[in-house]
Amino acid sequence: MPCRLPNAASGIGLYLHVPFCLSKCPYCDFNTYEGLTPLIPAYMAALEREIRLWAELLHGPPVSSIYYGGGTPSYVPPHSIASSLQTVTNLFEVSRDAELTLEANPGDVAPEQIDSWMKAGINRLSIGVQSFDDALLKTLGRRHTSQEAARAALCAASRGLENLSLDLMFGLPLQTLGQWQNSLNTAIDLEPQHLSIYGLQLEPGTPMEADVRLGRTPDVDNDLAADMYTLAEDTLGQAGFEHYEISNWARRGKESQHNLAYWTLQPYLGVGSGAHSFLHGRRFANVKSPRAYARCLESDAAIHNNRAHPVDAMRALGTVGEAETMDRQTAIAETMMMGMRLSRGVSNADFNHRFGVDMSDVFYEELRDLSDAGLIIHDHAGARLTPRGRLLGNEVFARLVEASSKAAQFRPGQAA
Amino acid sequence: MEWMDKSRIRNFCIIAHIDHGKSTLADRLMQFTGAVEDRDLTEQHLDTMELERERGITIKAQAVRLSYTARDGRGYELNLIDTPGHVDFTYEVSRSLAACEGALLLIDATQGIQAQTMANIYLAMEHDLSIIPVINKIDLPGAEPERVAGEIEQSFGFAPQDIQYISAKTGKGVLDLLETVVELVEPPRGDPSAPLRALIFDSRYDPYKGVVAYLRVVDGEMKGTERAMLMSAGVTADVLEAGFFSPAPEKSAGLATGQVGYLATGLKNVRDCRVGDTLTSSRLPATAPLAGYRPLKPMVFSGLYPADGKAYPELRDALDKLQLNDPALVFEPESSTALGFGFRCGFLGLLHMDIVQERLEREYDLSLIATAPGVNYRVTLTDQSVVEVDNPSRMPPAQTIAEVREPWVELSIIAPSRFIGPVMDLVTGRRGEYRKMEYLPTRSSMSAGANGPADAPANDARVHLEYLAPLSEILVDFHDQLKARTQGYASMDYSLVDDRPADLVKLEVLVNQEPVDALSIITHRGDAQSQGRKLARKLRELIPRQMFEVPIQAAIGNKVIARETVRALRKNVLAKCYGGDVTRKRKLLEQQAEGKKRLKKIGRVDVPQEAFLAVLKIDRE
Ligand SMILES: Nc1nc2c(ncn2[C@@H]2O[C@H](COP(=O)(O)OP(=O)(O)OP(=O)(O)O)[C@@H](O)[C@H]2O)c(=O)[nH]1
Ligand code: SF4
Ligand SMILES: [Mg+2]
Repeated sequence: MPCRLPNAASGIGLYLHVPFCLSKCPYCDFNTYEGLTPLIPAYMAALEREIRLWAELLHGPPVSSIYYGGGTPSYVPPHSIASSLQTVTNLFEVSRDAELTLEANPGDVAPEQIDSWMKAGINRLSIGVQSFDDALLKTLGRRHTSQEAARAALCAASRGLENLSLDLMFGLPLQTLGQWQNSLNTAIDLEPQHLSIYGLQLEPGTPMEADVRLGRTPDVDNDLAADMYTLAEDTLGQAGFEHYEISNWARRGKESQHNLAYWTLQPYLGVGSGAHSFLHGRRFANVKSPRAYARCLESDAAIHNNRAHPVDAMRALGTVGEAETMDRQTAIAETMMMGMRLSRGVSNADFNHRFGVDMSDVFYEELRDLSDAGLIIHDHAGARLTPRGRLLGNEVFARLVEASSKAAQFRPGQAA
Repeated sequence: MEWMDKSRIRNFCIIAHIDHGKSTLADRLMQFTGAVEDRDLTEQHLDTMELERERGITIKAQAVRLSYTARDGRGYELNLIDTPGHVDFTYEVSRSLAACEGALLLIDATQGIQAQTMANIYLAMEHDLSIIPVINKIDLPGAEPERVAGEIEQSFGFAPQDIQYISAKTGKGVLDLLETVVELVEPPRGDPSAPLRALIFDSRYDPYKGVVAYLRVVDGEMKGTERAMLMSAGVTADVLEAGFFSPAPEKSAGLATGQVGYLATGLKNVRDCRVGDTLTSSRLPATAPLAGYRPLKPMVFSGLYPADGKAYPELRDALDKLQLNDPALVFEPESSTALGFGFRCGFLGLLHMDIVQERLEREYDLSLIATAPGVNYRVTLTDQSVVEVDNPSRMPPAQTIAEVREPWVELSIIAPSRFIGPVMDLVTGRRGEYRKMEYLPTRSSMSAGANGPADAPANDARVHLEYLAPLSEILVDFHDQLKARTQGYASMDYSLVDDRPADLVKLEVLVNQEPVDALSIITHRGDAQSQGRKLARKLRELIPRQMFEVPIQAAIGNKVIARETVRALRKNVLAKCYGGDVTRKRKLLEQQAEGKKRLKKIGRVDVPQEAFLAVLKIDRE
């Protein structure tokens, strides 16, 4: 394949999925469940088994970041986090400066918890604050108060955590610009190193989407949401945060290493139910149901790695569901739609290194039109979004993804 | 070859107001004669088109041959044609009538005579058919067979013993009805020894068999092996296959005098084989063709354009082929600055227009843009020349026009008398003129006495109202309003009568400062202001926000009468995109790009297909 994506030898990201929550929030469409608490022990055991199987199949490649996501990883007992992390460090080559993140809900963040997570190796927490307004927290179905959220953040810092991220949401039904400014200010005062700011997306199938569709909850004003985003950009910029991805801000050097790997199409392995992986040029996903997943890994099944691709061995076991090989066109499309999310954009040199052709040849018209529309800047270094382009990212991504079908006409070594 | 003795053939159709149960009766007739096995029978079995099933109405007339052993012990061949009930498909009915000697006139026992009942019986009488009145749905709790029988007797002059009572649903009375058909419908006339003359009453295009003609043999006989000739086109064709419908097509050696069936001509040029033409044998041709059909005058016109300009040749081909199966459709090429090359099409009504568009899209895999429907104007210019204008953008400049005439229709409405007021209001609000009113007679009102004098009818008496009205006023939303104001009780029918001078103006629409010819409409001067405002507002709702602000204006001449703005889109971005959702998000973006392709670019503005029909979606009242 005339397509050189980063390979596993230089380190992979490891994602561990924890599909449990105290209660399911009405806007959430993640693979997570509120009634599955009794399954936690069996599930965490299965997770460790899966880690072991992969270590064997992949011969323990270097791991450059680890991320416990969910669901609510802080909801499961800290010792099971410690135990699984131990398994990882035993069997994989985890680099010394690797970023080890755990997602946590404010209600779970207490001194003992933080201590045991940090002892296990966790060096970054991502706390799901969402808002510092109690009324809005209620609309979001969150169990915590703004005060608890603030306390959690302060507590983390006081126990010596040096890399804290807070999640905030805007564009919520009934949210005002004033409330949003308050949340931003409160967040800044808590001195996190990183902030993720998400515009509410009404996902089909969620209770909140139905409420809005049926008029039981007021719809979100798209223009107001745009104003809120701009307000966040200004406020966080003034507070010295770097806006490095559409929804992410950080102090210099504190950008999320794990997430950067996604946006630059680095390889990663996802373990746990429904977790997605991208390894050896293939995208694949585990079975979604935590029960079905745990059942596949009930006994210490031995696997036979006599197959062409390690994924096929896991498919035989039943943990991996769908799998697809990424063709060059898709690789180009995803390089653009993911890379353009970053403030630094996609560099001409990287693109050419990966695909053997120039970005400005493949996307000649698109880059020209999008520049003319003021959505991107395209220069000798590469292409990246303008502030207006960040708000209209889909207009850019959709155009580029669609145009990737032209990629076949541009082969390495051919004159354009 | 063994032919069915012509005295044992009965050709008849089922006609009725919409939903009075024609297709359901056809089900029972097929079931009771064993044409379809019980386990294979679906409800409204002959409504085979996807659109018919979805909408629960018959669109195409459908012929079936049944074998029936009558109580006299003899075998009969019955050719039945199920017809549609909606006004817009009347042409299907009149063509079917020409292939029959008899008609079953169905009347719903809960509803009585409706507007299409009247229209259809007059059609059947013009064709000189024996008509058997049949009261259907007698199983329903609200059925009033007595009252309905009274209406039929008094309105159409039938005797009580002429009327049949059935339930097409339960099958009650249907066997007796079969006997009545054998008894009362005349066997086909026609001369078996004369040269072949067969009337083509319907057709369709088959990619393998070419044009398939549905025909009724009037004289002579058609052998499947003989070369056929189409008399008006003067074309000959090798017959690939002859047969009949049972209801599935079934091959046969040929068709004898009086029989109804089909013939695959192998003709690839659809213009060579026209509905209404006479088919004869090329070896021994007939001297004179049959009367054929009166050409039809379309009522409504609209432009049909391929959403993708490159598909113009496909659209032309599809229209040619569809017209075979829908001879009420007429079309000719036209072009629009906004939409490129397309066709001005004439239809019998808005439902017909809608069905044609749907059929073209489904059966021929096209994506189409339809422009606002309008009527045909006769314009006299100041130099006294006369032009017909069926496309608003072709309306000559106001200063060159001496007079514009618009088509008027005779409007017939049947409704319970308590709704006379609301109906009057509706029609006069649409510039209609009252012509006359008649109470539908009932037995009690005729035999008088008990309920008082005949000129003071009972509360539930029903009236037949007649009006004259401009066609353009009853095209859009009139039928819905009529139903709404009469709690669903009123029914209507209309036919073109003449044209009259009218005070009309052309309403132009500008999108992003550019006039869009495909959006212009012609409207009565008095309505222009409010129509313009409503149209602009509707367009603002229908045109999605773009990356820049889009002004929408409605103008008469150079004067802007309404202005709306589609505000610029400010935010459209996926908040999250991490490792778990790359594929899903990529597909979402592909869909977004795909969706954009379905929009029509007018200058820099992406306009959705529905916007061109915005005028249909504005509230008149
Ligand atoms: N109860 C009852 N319902 C009936 C009877 N005959 C027809 N229907 C119902 O009436 C509705 C209309 O029946 P169709 O047979 O589709 O009527 P149609 O006259 O063919 O309608 P168009 O072809 O659209 O004009 C359906 O819901 C039938 O089930 C009957 O004898 N009794
Ligand atoms: S806590 Fe997070 S993962 Fe759990 S339901 Fe709420 S939003 Fe979803
Ligand atoms: Mg029907």
